[in-house]
Amino acid sequence: MSDMPITPPVDTIDYRRRQKIGRIVQRLVIVVSAIVLAAYILAPVSWLVSSAFQTETEIVSIPPHWIPEEPTLRNFEAIFTAGNDEPVTYETRSGADPAAGDFIPSTAENLLPSMANSLIVSILVVILNLLVGVPAAYAIAKIRFWGRNASVYFILITRVIPDIALVVPFFLVIRKLGMLDTLGSLVITYLAITVPFTVFILIQYFEGLPDELDKAARVDGCSRFQALIKVFLPLSLPSLVAVVLFTFLTSWNEFLLALMFTQTSASQTLPILLASFTSDFTVSFSFLNAAGVLAVVPPVIVAIVFERYIVSGLTAGAVKG
Amino acid sequence: MLFLAPVMAVLGAVAVFPIAYSLYISFFSIKLTRPNRTPFVGLKNYTDLLGDEAFWGAVWRTVSFSLVSVTAIAFIALLVSLLLNQEFRGRRILSTILLVPWAIPYVANALMWKWIYDSSYGALNGLLYQLDFIDKYMVWLGDQDKTLFLIANAFVWKEVPLTTILLLVSLKSIPSDLYAAARVDGATVWQRFVHVTLPAMKPGFMLVMIYETMMAIRHFDLFFILTEGGPGSASHVLSWHIYVETFRNLSFGSGAAMSYLLAIATFALSYLFIRTLGRKI
Repeated sequence: MSDMPITPPVDTIDYRRRQKIGRIVQRLVIVVSAIVLAAYILAPVSWLVSSAFQTETEIVSIPPHWIPEEPTLRNFEAIFTAGNDEPVTYETRSGADPAAGDFIPSTAENLLPSMANSLIVSILVVILNLLVGVPAAYAIAKIRFWGRNASVYFILITRVIPDIALVVPFFLVIRKLGMLDTLGSLVITYLAITVPFTVFILIQYFEGLPDELDKAARVDGCSRFQALIKVFLPLSLPSLVAVVLFTFLTSWNEFLLALMFTQTSASQTLPILLASFTSDFTVSFSFLNAAGVLAVVPPVIVAIVFERYIVSGLTAGAVKG
Repeated sequence: MLFLAPVMAVLGAVAVFPIAYSLYISFFSIKLTRPNRTPFVGLKNYTDLLGDEAFWGAVWRTVSFSLVSVTAIAFIALLVSLLLNQEFRGRRILSTILLVPWAIPYVANALMWKWIYDSSYGALNGLLYQLDFIDKYMVWLGDQDKTLFLIANAFVWKEVPLTTILLLVSLKSIPSDLYAAARVDGATVWQRFVHVTLPAMKPGFMLVMIYETMMAIRHFDLFFILTEGGPGSASHVLSWHIYVETFRNLSFGSGAAMSYLLAIATFALSYLFIRTLGRKI
């Protein structure tokens, strides 16, 4: 708020005092709500992380230990050494709950391979997105042609088809192509989800770049394609970074389609393996949480490191739709 | 045109074709339990749905889940975006923290909340017990009346960040002289909010409502991991219904019919979406 004096002081009401109180109240409201917000966001995640470092005895204590009293790395050791033959055992959980188990699932050794699968799929989807999306966005933003608006609407509409509506036909087609349980099936279908977004962010950015750039490049003898590569791409680096991040995170996090198309460790991605752990009642809780932390850490680090690009990318997409 | 060809080819193959194909198979009775006989049944899959109580129950639960979560998301995001529009120390850190739920995979989010809601060792029970709000541990997700709300809560937590950022854009686009002018006219904080801030946020708000409604309608992951549609049918929503019908009952024709209806519903929503923002495209 500005410090601009509103009216000269009148004797009955002390405006200066009022303004001061107003400022203090405002400060207080901001501080309190900032703290509440931070707690709301961080509390669930911190508990997940805290649980991942607890022993099985500690994790079943009532009331729960918010901070591990005997922090342990054994869950993570179990994951990273799961390929070895050395069996990992846990102390039995409280006798009161015999149904619940204390086991490391035998599929634990698939965790690292599934992360590798997620990584491969995500990278391929990113590359294909750029190959397909960059020229399209450039054309829509800089070339006037018949059907330009229609193309924009077309792309926008494909963005809003729910994945669940695509699942049945996709499944039948992919089965027919013999692509079930392959990474290829995921790469193809993830394109449907990510390409429209890529095109939208890039259109927005390209439109912001002056048309004169394009004309100058053409006068200098560049083809359309050369103009795109030599002039526009270097300038649009920030939005390209945003696109890469979005596409990567979307592919890394996708669940529904992967659930339908993958069956074995040959193609299972991290979310699928994680989900298979949760449906197993004999799995150790602390192990499950450790696996959860592993699934959360990479995308969150990516998001925080590239925070600037994500926000600018989202806002660019937002203005345009 | 050459530039557009790849994108059209890809989207045609991965978006338009499946939708057309799902219309096609929705006219057949395809059951994997008898793979060699797939008779054409016309509109029967659709008419069966109209008379199916389970289907309407799922539709109704989808609508209530969406209403509850979208209202909560929009309200919380409004407050948070107003907060982040202020200048204060630590604002940058706070907006970075805000990205955490957004980046977390839906499945990991579901796993986290399943653990929080856990009936024996969960944080929710632990916390409420320590604060003396409850005197014995509750089976949260086993309560028919609460399930949908608890899932909505997990959904809201995940969706608020993105929504906040979208709303923040409209807030930032309000020219500051509007506020100055209002202040000169003697408008109170509340009046400024109602007459300057809210109207300027309207487009952003509409976008958020529609986008989040679409997200809520199609949401699947939390239902799959937290409740599998239960207890009873308390969280048996449409996306779960399609999944069960298709991949557990292996009734692809009927699953396709439902998918198609859902696609039409979202198309209708997206039309609203385009109309709201239409001018800007």
